[in-house]
Amino acid sequence: MNKSPWIFLGVLFALSLSWWGMVFGPAAQVNAAKSDLGDGTALHPRSGLAQQGEQIYRANGCYYCHTRTATGGTFGYELQLTQLGEDQDLTAEIIGEEMFTVGNNIFNRAYEYKALAKALDALKAEEEKENGNVAKATEQKNKAITLAKGGNLEENLVALGVSGVSFDTNVVKALELPLEMTEVQQAKVANAVLPVTHGTESWDEIEDKVRGLKDRAGAQFKLLPKPKEWPDVENGTASRQSVSRDYLFDTHAMPGVMRMGPDLSNVGARRVSANELYAKIYNAQAGGVSSHMPPFKYLFNVRPLKDGEALPNGAVTLADGASVEENHVVTPNSKARALVAYLQSLRNDRSLPEAPLPGSIQSSKATE
Amino acid sequence: MSEHADNVALAPAAKPEEINASCRLPVLFLFFSAAVWAVQATGVGLLASLKMHVPGFLADCPFLTFGRLQANAWVAFLYGFAGNAGLGLTLWMLSRLRGMPLARPGFVIAGAVLWNTGVTAAMVGITMGDQPGVAGYELPAYASRVLLIGHAFIAFSAIITYFSRRHQQLYPSSWFLIASLVVFPWIVGTAHWLLVETPVRGAAQIPVAHWTVTSLQQIWLGTIGLAAIMYFIPKITGRALYSRQWAAFGFWMVLLLGGWVNLNSGSPLPVWSIKLSQYASALFIFALIAVGWNLRQTAKGVPLLGSDDLTLKCMGFALGAWLIAGLFTFGNACPDWNGLLQFTYASTAIRHFFAWGFFAMAMFGAVYYVAPRLFEGEVDWACSGTYKYIYWLTAGGAVVMLLAGVGMAYGHGHALQGGVDPFSVDMMKKALLPMRAAFLAELAFLGASLIFLGSMACLLFRNCCGDCSPMALIRKCRAAKAEGGVE
Repeated sequence: MNKSPWIFLGVLFALSLSWWGMVFGPAAQVNAAKSDLGDGTALHPRSGLAQQGEQIYRANGCYYCHTRTATGGTFGYELQLTQLGEDQDLTAEIIGEEMFTVGNNIFNRAYEYKALAKALDALKAEEEKENGNVAKATEQKNKAITLAKGGNLEENLVALGVSGVSFDTNVVKALELPLEMTEVQQAKVANAVLPVTHGTESWDEIEDKVRGLKDRAGAQFKLLPKPKEWPDVENGTASRQSVSRDYLFDTHAMPGVMRMGPDLSNVGARRVSANELYAKIYNAQAGGVSSHMPPFKYLFNVRPLKDGEALPNGAVTLADGASVEENHVVTPNSKARALVAYLQSLRNDRSLPEAPLPGSIQSSKATE
Repeated sequence: MSEHADNVALAPAAKPEEINASCRLPVLFLFFSAAVWAVQATGVGLLASLKMHVPGFLADCPFLTFGRLQANAWVAFLYGFAGNAGLGLTLWMLSRLRGMPLARPGFVIAGAVLWNTGVTAAMVGITMGDQPGVAGYELPAYASRVLLIGHAFIAFSAIITYFSRRHQQLYPSSWFLIASLVVFPWIVGTAHWLLVETPVRGAAQIPVAHWTVTSLQQIWLGTIGLAAIMYFIPKITGRALYSRQWAAFGFWMVLLLGGWVNLNSGSPLPVWSIKLSQYASALFIFALIAVGWNLRQTAKGVPLLGSDDLTLKCMGFALGAWLIAGLFTFGNACPDWNGLLQFTYASTAIRHFFAWGFFAMAMFGAVYYVAPRLFEGEVDWACSGTYKYIYWLTAGGAVVMLLAGVGMAYGHGHALQGGVDPFSVDMMKKALLPMRAAFLAELAFLGASLIFLGSMACLLFRNCCGDCSPMALIRKCRAAKAEGGVE
């Protein structure tokens, strides 16, 4: 460490590492992102007015108080059985009785179908024998049919699907299942799944169960990741988490620093009217609303309302129809129009391959 | 060539007085500029903070929006105060460490003028709405060009000084100073080119911006501040630095990891880059251990904060602040912790804590030591006693900023994570609470900056130009008046 050229080169090398890792690498990757939704539907750049609005947003430093970065959250796993193992007791033990999210009915009914299928196979085998005990096998079959028939049709169709067995017409009729299924019913059987977790469990919590079903019970299953604890989605701020592709057409990507105000990543999809946005920008405290957002009155034209004059079209009003400034006509200037056009262009309500819409989370404010 | 090299190697060390004399004009110019910009930064920052508490305050002026004021405050601090003070100290320390007078001081003056012109241009540009949209790097294109040219002028003088004499051994502070001179143009050049001059695609701007902002803070400011701490603590305590190996390890850790750390877990970037940043943040603990342990062993038994020497107190506090800020960097390795605080005031508070508690404090301490030594003979610094208030105000402000900014941001973070309605009054109160408390800290920083400016002005007023200083002239007039010679 006494040769300055080596220190100089070392500094260059050390900085080049982080430059490569944090500048070149991510930039090269996101630069190569396709400008579509992943299904060939093209993403379009902002309109001219919205692009101008982006400059207004930048010039005023709006990104110091508002983020445009909706965050995701954690995932739980819903363990869905698609075909049950042969041993009912073992399967039930592995799953755990308390873990059925749909109910025991499907599980029990599926094993009744399995038992019936075994009885039918046994009857067939006895019939093929020279001195087979057909009567006893028939009795077993009838007993199995008695056990398996009846119940809720919807559940029975799912149970049939996960049991992995099929019956001929006579048995189907005896089981009171539809002889000719509609497309919907066929799909229900073909795509039948039996969820055996709540969908909020982490992998660590279900790992033993998955291994048991696979290695010991011989069941078939699939794991469906389900979003859990996604606050931005739950409180209606966003439809999904923000990803690089959301910023592809930004002249200046402004993900934001802190949330002194709400996140704006999906403000355009929140069904907020232009007038509401104008009123908020003009004076967020108008109408007695509590807010610490500064007024941006210089983005509006204001003139006194003449006696008897009605508010003209295009005047900024509060929710009750009154002018946002008492006894004045307030209309947005070109900068305010551009800014609102930009805000309305901000939306993340369309699914992307790397950020699907977490539809299973019900937003309490979805329609606001 | 070899004869020249031998001459360089054999050149005797210059006397400290000679070195100080060579640094006098350029370094004092840089220090005084730093003091002016510190007042500007804190004044504008306080105004911005005030707007958050009183939303209608100056709301009709488009040039004074919260966003523009925030950007201006950071530019004034980072390039105005930190740039001037850091470069001034770099030149003085390099000269002293090499034992040679500052070479080509005229270049430094020219560079300093250009540098301050660049900062002024940035301030005007931001006020006019010309910021590039990156929080933490707000330089318009024309400003960064001027800054880079100014830096080149100053760095040229530093390089000539550096190579004017050989040493058997480079003191560790030299490594940090060399690094600071090398990394600045690279960082600002990258940001200028990829974010402003020919901006890359929108999505690609996010990683570039993050690297720029974190490198400017962790590497550029970090290396200058640590160079000062490693220089002054051993010097004032009269001890040798405990270990060059620890210093070297800390140096390379800061350089290697500084650009990677602190990427938010919710950033809209590829997951691998977020994970890498988290690993780097975790490894940053080794930089803290290396630097902290080395200086702790160096000053073992010496109460840095309880010292009577103001420079030592400042360096002690700066070291502690760097370690605490580093622990927060280390904490960002935990996604849950980072996820909780990422959109709250906490990250801004930590940035302020790093800027004032660590960097500014180190610079205040260094200037207190260096500035009076730049004058010949006995220095008349009547208001040097006020300098201790700079220490107390900065230290108090930094502590309030840390406790308020981070502690109170927890409530906001929990509200954000807990799905509280973002438009509710409850959320608004939780978001504002840390900023309200941090206002006190900004007030303290403004007080410290004003005293710093007053103190520097006092020093120059009484000592510049030898017998022709304004104070000397006033005294002569008074003396003559007392004798009845002059009215």
